[in-house]
Amino acid sequence: MTTTPPVPPPTGYSSPPPPSGAGGPRHRAGAAPWLAAVLVLALVLAGYLWVTTTQWQRTAGEWEAEAHRYASEAATLEQQLDGANAELAAARDQLATATGRISELANEKAQLGDENVASRQHLDYQARVSEAAAKVAVALGQCVDAQDQLIGYLEDADAYDAADLTRFKNQVGDLCDKASDANDALQQELAS
Amino acid sequence: MRRGTRPAAVLAALIAVTTAGCGVLPPLPEPVPSEIVPSPVAGLEPAEDSDSISPDGFDAVQRMAVRVRNVGCDELSTGSGFAIDEYTLITNKHVVADSDNLQVSTYDGRDIDVGTAATAGLADLAIVRTRDPLPSYPVLAESDPEQGDDVTIAGYPSGGELTISSGRVIGSTRDPLNANLGEVLVTDAKVEPGSSGSAALDDQGRVIGVVYAKTADDDSLLVPISTVREMLADAAAFEDVATCAGP
Repeated sequence: MTTTPPVPPPTGYSSPPPPSGAGGPRHRAGAAPWLAAVLVLALVLAGYLWVTTTQWQRTAGEWEAEAHRYASEAATLEQQLDGANAELAAARDQLATATGRISELANEKAQLGDENVASRQHLDYQARVSEAAAKVAVALGQCVDAQDQLIGYLEDADAYDAADLTRFKNQVGDLCDKASDANDALQQELAS
Repeated sequence: MRRGTRPAAVLAALIAVTTAGCGVLPPLPEPVPSEIVPSPVAGLEPAEDSDSISPDGFDAVQRMAVRVRNVGCDELSTGSGFAIDEYTLITNKHVVADSDNLQVSTYDGRDIDVGTAATAGLADLAIVRTRDPLPSYPVLAESDPEQGDDVTIAGYPSGGELTISSGRVIGSTRDPLNANLGEVLVTDAKVEPGSSGSAALDDQGRVIGVVYAKTADDDSLLVPISTVREMLADAAAFEDVATCAGP
């Protein structure tokens, strides 16, 4: 029986690598801190998210309360605005009525003023006519008196100078003509 | 050497991811403010008609118009007029002619003490100076209106209530009454005796003419503002009006 001596490995060759399962535990030991770090990070992240969510919920609640308060305030203001608008409309109506009434009163005053002036002018006219009528009456009376006097003279004409009688007759005629003209003018004025 | 680089790279990557993640994460909310100041609202318009209301509820067109009562020696006539400044008003020459006493009243019935009156020689215009202040006066337009322009007339037709009538400028013509030198304006705004001396206003409330007559077709005749301006610029154009009672 022959034994084969062990063959030395050829020069330039190294020993073969160990099987893969031979280094596992060392690798797992190296990954553990990283996993712990990731876990801590995840926990921190979860905590932050929880705090943030809680804060946002609280703030949302406060905003909602504010919104309700402002909505209520807006509703009150709207109601007040409606009331103010109604009052404004009523005030505008009252103003329109008041200005209309002022215009009416101004017009009534103006018409009364016109009537007053017209009445005064009419009274002045009446006074002038009355004065003229009185003058006409006096003139007509003087005419009648003069004619009576002339008749008396004519009844006893021989006692007077004929030329004087003629002159007196002409004077009476002139006086009566003027009185008659004045009377005609007055009648014409009254008729107009 | 290779064994020391790898954890460092992983750490760097982790820090980078964490930093980037912080940007994605929602921030904490701001505290709710105790008082909320509203933003100013742009484009709010004033209430309707608020610009045409004066302190006493009458608009400028009514406030500037005056009623003129001409108490003659034997008769009475009325006309209209309008203020051009605090103590001066314009009316027609025929409104103040043959007067013993001129009486002026405002839209609200107040009597205005009259000083002197002067009439123009070449137009049916008169200027009346007052001792009491007049309530309001309009702006005189720079130029005559064009055909088709809106016109508003404020006056006292037939000596009655203050009335505002509207129409348009129809055109211009030679004065059929020969009371004015040059052309006069014709409008379809209704006027009556008593409207003489009323101001005719454009759509901006400026005086564009003075009413002095009406035609057989019920159109109104105006002394144009250019003539009014010409007369006002020439002090010699007006002379004191003679009263029926004598000087």
